[in-house]
Amino acid sequence: MKIVEIKSLEYPCLLRQINDPPEKLYCKGSWDANLFNNCLAVVGSRRMTVYGKQITNELVSKIALSGITIVSGFMYGVDAQAHKAALSVGGKTIAVMPCGIDLIHPGHQKDLYEQIIAEGSLIISEFERNFPPARWTYPKRNRIVAGLSQATLVIEGSSKSGTLITAEFAKKFKRKLFAVPGPLTSSLSQATSQLIKEGASLVADPDDVLGYYGLSRSKDSANPFLESNLSELEKDILKKLRQEPKEFDALCRLTKISASKLGTVISFMLLKGLVEEESGKYYVSKSRFSA
Amino acid sequence: MLVKVASALNLGLHTLAMEVEVNVANRGLPAFEIVGLPSKAVAESKERVRTAISNSRIQFPTKRIVINLAPADVPKEGAFYDLPIAVGIVAAILGCQPPEKSLFFGELSLDGTLRHTKGALLLALFAKEKGIKNVFVPKPSANEAAIIKGVNVYPVENISQLLPFFCGQLRFEPVVYNEIHSRPKASRAEFDMSEVLGQEQTKRAMEIAAAGGHNIFMVGSPGSGKTMLARAFPGILPLLTEEESLEVTKVYSASGLIRPEGSLIKARPFRAPHHTISSVGLIGGGSKLKPGEISLAHRGVLFLDEFNEFPRLALEALRQPLEDGCITICRSKQRATFPSQFILIASANPCPCGYLYHPKKACVCTQREIEKYKKRISGPVLDRIDLCVEVPVADFRALSQEKRIKESLESSETIRQRIIKARKMQESRFKKETIYTNSEMRNKHIKKYCGLSKEVDQLLFKAGVRFNLSARSYFKMIKISRSIADLEGTEEIEISHMAEALQYCSLEKRDASVYR
Repeated sequence: MKIVEIKSLEYPCLLRQINDPPEKLYCKGSWDANLFNNCLAVVGSRRMTVYGKQITNELVSKIALSGITIVSGFMYGVDAQAHKAALSVGGKTIAVMPCGIDLIHPGHQKDLYEQIIAEGSLIISEFERNFPPARWTYPKRNRIVAGLSQATLVIEGSSKSGTLITAEFAKKFKRKLFAVPGPLTSSLSQATSQLIKEGASLVADPDDVLGYYGLSRSKDSANPFLESNLSELEKDILKKLRQEPKEFDALCRLTKISASKLGTVISFMLLKGLVEEESGKYYVSKSRFSA
Repeated sequence: MLVKVASALNLGLHTLAMEVEVNVANRGLPAFEIVGLPSKAVAESKERVRTAISNSRIQFPTKRIVINLAPADVPKEGAFYDLPIAVGIVAAILGCQPPEKSLFFGELSLDGTLRHTKGALLLALFAKEKGIKNVFVPKPSANEAAIIKGVNVYPVENISQLLPFFCGQLRFEPVVYNEIHSRPKASRAEFDMSEVLGQEQTKRAMEIAAAGGHNIFMVGSPGSGKTMLARAFPGILPLLTEEESLEVTKVYSASGLIRPEGSLIKARPFRAPHHTISSVGLIGGGSKLKPGEISLAHRGVLFLDEFNEFPRLALEALRQPLEDGCITICRSKQRATFPSQFILIASANPCPCGYLYHPKKACVCTQREIEKYKKRISGPVLDRIDLCVEVPVADFRALSQEKRIKESLESSETIRQRIIKARKMQESRFKKETIYTNSEMRNKHIKKYCGLSKEVDQLLFKAGVRFNLSARSYFKMIKISRSIADLEGTEEIEISHMAEALQYCSLEKRDASVYR
């Protein structure tokens, strides 16, 4: 464990610039001053939708791969997904806790907590080691999340949410605000739609964020699957899934083949990484999406 | 005068020989005593017998009557001993001995007629095993006892009927077994599979479950049709074989669930206990060791709706019967073994509010609540359920308007024919084994009968890595693919069979995705 005081030279400069910077930062993990050079806060709803999960994975993994540190609040939903996505590509991440750093909150994410410490990332908090989380500590935490980062990326959120609190802090600190558009039918698109209306930059591609940091995406590895290698049925299924994710039964009716035959084909497609299954629906895998 | 009447005692499904000794003494004060550990119901038999005899216009002797139920150290339950006691007394009055090699069994009514008594089938079976030729049972229970061939079952209507018989004046004709229901074509089900629109995947999973006798777990929001599908399930099951019929009828006879004049049970039982059931109600037991719901579902279906809501104790108690196909209940006074080879259909909501993943309604549960809800079912119980499917909410109104979908629906009977074929394959495969279906296969059977080709093995390995399959899940997948191959009529498990089997491990897939 390490305690960094505000007078210390190690104290992150960006955080020092905000109105009420924390006096002390308690840290766990591997402290590295370079970690704070390029930071992006990624925030969003706890009730992440499948869409939100896909987008978080897609954007964050590519951004983190380019060397940007992903800062978030360790809550389940988009926050946790952002930490996971960053770690999955070997990127760096900082989890800012709403409680003391010795507490794991929420408790079921113990694995993630340990992974962050083990894989050279950082857990920080302004609260004493065993300080319990309370209603008022969450906005305090959000202030640090926004304060540490040059920019904040909002993925999903409802009209009254902690996500918007973080976005407000970012505005107050005069930091860049990014928002990912979501389907207008979803209540979790309210926050992002509102932010875009108010002038946040719309993100449709990882490059939109990376450009702000003066970086560009490292080249993707070539797509391992060639469309020509697929069977007619597989092509047909991909085509139908690209319009909209579908349930097994719906796919069964659309392709007019038996449940047993479709089960076989879908299993092969899952194993080949062509499609993914999430909450009972099949999706075209993210690596195939742009194709 | 001492008269000995043979009878029997049912302990669970086990029957013990019992002798009723009646001594009518001329000396001593008039009395009527029963000894030999009688329970309340047996002790009260005194009053029933006395009144029934008087009401049959036989003068009840004002003598010292002592009745001993031997063996004296086994507790006696129930009202089955009314008839042997009455027979003993009547024989003593007449001064003759009751016919040899005969068992008497039955409950008396106060007017001297005999009532339907549970366990008549077990008695007849016992008589056959012991070489006892004649069995006297109440008339309403006679047909049930007559299921067993090679034993003369005499239907006794009332006590006065026995008097001339004992004097040798009346020829008593044994009852001829009469099957009330002509053999039904299929087990009765509330719904036909063709009434269920959509749900292609779940229907297919049910077909596989029925073919291989696998347990199945359905997860879906309220209104997705889980209950309807489960209730349609008995319709695709093959009928009971002769041996299975007898096994099932024995359990029902012991529980007194066979109607008067009832005959052999041919349809597979379907039991759907409510989730407030106690563990004794589910597993069996109680002070009189009765079979529980799992035994009543023997060779049939046990449907546990709202699986997560069942008391934890009851669910955990399911482990052993799911594994062994029978349950041994031990209490301080007695023990009994009941069969419990059933197909478990469990259904549950995906979260406490039920609307997780629902297309229209939003779920209001927190992550924590969902985790807690899922944890109510322990791993060992889930491990014993081979198939797992998610039942999505289908728009039935839209589906019912599409003509093509309606035409492509298969009836339960069509599906059942395929299942009968698959079961035949299993029958010939397991001829030399003690098991009947693929779901009962142990590791040694899997090694022997489910050799995987190299490419199938590789596919399974790949899937294991991708979906985080546990070691036990590997075996589940092999068993399911065996059943899929049987449905297709192939002796070899092909790669397409294994690929389809992988569709039914959705719980593992889901858990893997949580930590992805």
